[in-house]
Amino acid sequence: MTDKIDAVDVSLRSRAVGRRRLLGGASLAGLGAVVGASVPFGANVRPGFVPVAFANAELLAGKKGLTVLGDRPLNAETPPHLLDDAVTPTDRHFIRNNGLPPEDVSREGWTLTVDGLVDNPMTLTIDALRARFEVVTMDLVIECGGNGRAFFDPPASGNQWTYGAVGCSAWTGVRLKDVLEAAGVKPEVVYTAHVGADEHLSRDPDRLPISRGVPIAKAMTDNVLIAFEQNGGPLHKQNGAPLRLVVPGWPGSCSQKWLTRIWLRDVVHDGPKMTGTSYRVPNRPVAPGEEVATEDFVIMERMPVKSLITAPANGAEPAGRTVEVRGHAWSGDRTVERVELSIDFGATWMEAALTAPANDGAWQHFRADVSFPMAGYYEVWARATDSAGDGQPHAIAWNPKGYLNNTMHRVGLRVA
Amino acid sequence: MHPSSWIAALVVVAACPAMASGEFGVLKVAPGVEETFYNCTACHSEHIVAQQGMTRAHWADLMVWMREEQGMHEIPEAELDVILDYLAEHYNEDRPNFPR
Repeated sequence: MTDKIDAVDVSLRSRAVGRRRLLGGASLAGLGAVVGASVPFGANVRPGFVPVAFANAELLAGKKGLTVLGDRPLNAETPPHLLDDAVTPTDRHFIRNNGLPPEDVSREGWTLTVDGLVDNPMTLTIDALRARFEVVTMDLVIECGGNGRAFFDPPASGNQWTYGAVGCSAWTGVRLKDVLEAAGVKPEVVYTAHVGADEHLSRDPDRLPISRGVPIAKAMTDNVLIAFEQNGGPLHKQNGAPLRLVVPGWPGSCSQKWLTRIWLRDVVHDGPKMTGTSYRVPNRPVAPGEEVATEDFVIMERMPVKSLITAPANGAEPAGRTVEVRGHAWSGDRTVERVELSIDFGATWMEAALTAPANDGAWQHFRADVSFPMAGYYEVWARATDSAGDGQPHAIAWNPKGYLNNTMHRVGLRVA
Repeated sequence: MHPSSWIAALVVVAACPAMASGEFGVLKVAPGVEETFYNCTACHSEHIVAQQGMTRAHWADLMVWMREEQGMHEIPEAELDVILDYLAEHYNEDRPNFPR
């Protein structure tokens, strides 16, 4: 591969190498050092607890090809070329954890409580959910609010996601709306509050790692599911088994994993990572690096229009001069109207063929046979435009926490 | 901890390729690394530290957030200074030690 192709994304390529090294975990010497160390939370380490830092192989069982950003909490994304499937296989779905997954994720005995401002508070097993409500299967996009954070300059703190904190699996479950209607939503409800069974990193049982919610109007949308199957099988443990919310098109953090409780409130939910600057952006455009007062941050809602080129892979050296370009496009609460491609750094554009979404909340697929006029180095750029006329920007609308980066995806190619 | 757990951990480590990082994981070995590694990894792995690029002031803000919002243990001021100096030197906005 040439330097020029590397130049498209040199930092990321080196990151990928680095992350492979991260996967190696700590050395034996490192383990010894940890054993000997007195750690402030040592008292909370339970008998039988294998330090997660050394358990990568086990944590990632059932996942294939993911790039690990960190192992405690476990966060891993999918390289774009491994997201080529129309429906994201379970083993390719990214992982975003705020805390530590519960140890027991068996579906037997798992219950969901719906309470707060409802007429009929209820606690239901997964079998009861299945028996009592219509079971539906939908392809639904989950994208981390911080997908693309790695490209912020100055850097924004948090997991340095590049492109692959997104997936669109087939989720089977019951509509949140149907469950809430059965519970009876009182008129004063304004927001949901979601609670999961994951543990806070400090292992303090009185702390929740994350508890977010959505406005009640969003919760009553037809495509918000309480899901108990992913791609026709069980949910992956790291994707929230045995029960999770799926709120397509909104920051992934709304889609509470290891779901145990939905609490209806008459105020905007103020659980962990709802307040401060978490999953929030400034209430106005700001300059890169600008300090923004915490009270000027507002809660993120729908995710913006975006596309991802899944073939060819960045750095590919195709055999011929005509290359099939493929990928997906999506826009929170909207549909994508068109996807255009450029092979000349945005000077000219061609429209790709674009499918309709499988259902409301699914991503759409684009493809085009692209002919390159002569041998040389090219970048394929993709830009989607949604049903409200919004397109993808060239440059990042910088914000302090590194959210909502929907800039165009670029893939470098060496055509022979 | 039960010894069998450590044996399990050792097996996992042994199963990983020999791409081992150092005694302080992926963190740059320099003055302050020990204080940084052990305080941070009490709650989370050092991977999330090494990915960041922040000014000293922003690292200090993050410490306040972890202390006030996330239940981080109290770090004596002198030790906190050592950690902040280390982070500002090696994990600043120019990202000289981004994992690679």
